[in-house]
Amino acid sequence: MRPMAADLHVHTALSPCADDDMTPQAIVMAAIAAEIDIIAVCDHNSAENTGAVQEAARSFAGDLFGVIAGMEITTAEEAHIVALFPDVESAMNASDEVACHLPEGLTGVRKYGNQYVMDATGEVIREVDALLSWASDLTVSQTVTLIHKHGGLAVAAHVDRPSFSIISQLGFMPEDAEFDAVEISAAGAKDGRATEFEALGYPIIVASDAHFPDNIGDGKALFHIDSPVFSEVALAFKGVGNRSIQLA
Amino acid sequence: MNLAALADSLGLENLTPEINLGQSSEITHGYASDLLSDVLAHAPRGGVLVTVQVHLNVIAVSVHADLAAVIFALGREPDSATREKAAEEGICLLASKAPAFEIVGKLYEMGLRGNKA
Repeated sequence: MRPMAADLHVHTALSPCADDDMTPQAIVMAAIAAEIDIIAVCDHNSAENTGAVQEAARSFAGDLFGVIAGMEITTAEEAHIVALFPDVESAMNASDEVACHLPEGLTGVRKYGNQYVMDATGEVIREVDALLSWASDLTVSQTVTLIHKHGGLAVAAHVDRPSFSIISQLGFMPEDAEFDAVEISAAGAKDGRATEFEALGYPIIVASDAHFPDNIGDGKALFHIDSPVFSEVALAFKGVGNRSIQLA
Repeated sequence: MNLAALADSLGLENLTPEINLGQSSEITHGYASDLLSDVLAHAPRGGVLVTVQVHLNVIAVSVHADLAAVIFALGREPDSATREKAAEEGICLLASKAPAFEIVGKLYEMGLRGNKA
């Protein structure tokens, strides 16, 4: 077991608010340059680029660098929940299900930014027309249930932030949703705010929520695990077999 | 004005019939927000909250903020668990089809204010 730096919340060019330069290759190279061992690809309400980033990572670094297939789901209450899945297939199944809960008619909203589905080399395969970052009609509790149904882990995103967090929207962590962890933003961690959330009783991680290559690794947590893969991260959340999470 | 008079003049449906609106205290203040962290921090005690937020947490927040009632705007209605919790906690839930802006405007016309300071 060794310490592995994890940044479990990174966007790609599929998110309208993320830089078009967030290509699979650029993300993997920036993460490796920032001495990160494992990332999670979490675009708004879609997992469509997760496979491409995994493929790019494999061709650069084989098994040494890990990419978890994830998503950042917007709930009906406009709270963001990071979902981490065991593999691309389960992430895509969850993604397809979330797609059925996004508002119809919000197409052609290009002013919010481009939404590129890419292959591993960064070639644009297609553009998603419907705005992905909009709120779904899934409640917090329904979203957590959906994530768990697909074998995933539910992380309350950037709970220290004044917008789009469970705590900003709902005042405090709701009793009707079983989160696996809470995430503190990079800025919150720098301000020493992680300790404020210890009393919640959830494992705490810090992640960058990077929308630009240079921000990857700005927020990270040190996972003491065997290898940079989803199953090890899941065991670390539960503290199984001396696995642990340490905030820098 | 108590909650019965307020509900009557705005045509609000009482979602917590267990609570007798006629026995409520005088309502003089209100607040409008969908962010419950904001409600916790800023809603005036004894007031009414106008919101489209129907999550169960709205009840616990109302208890903490010592609110008399919650008015759900735009036809949004909480589920039965939320209604039961509200009745248990003595928080009156009222429903309107009107948008929050219209409801708040009428409450202001009736003399309610946003801040006790």
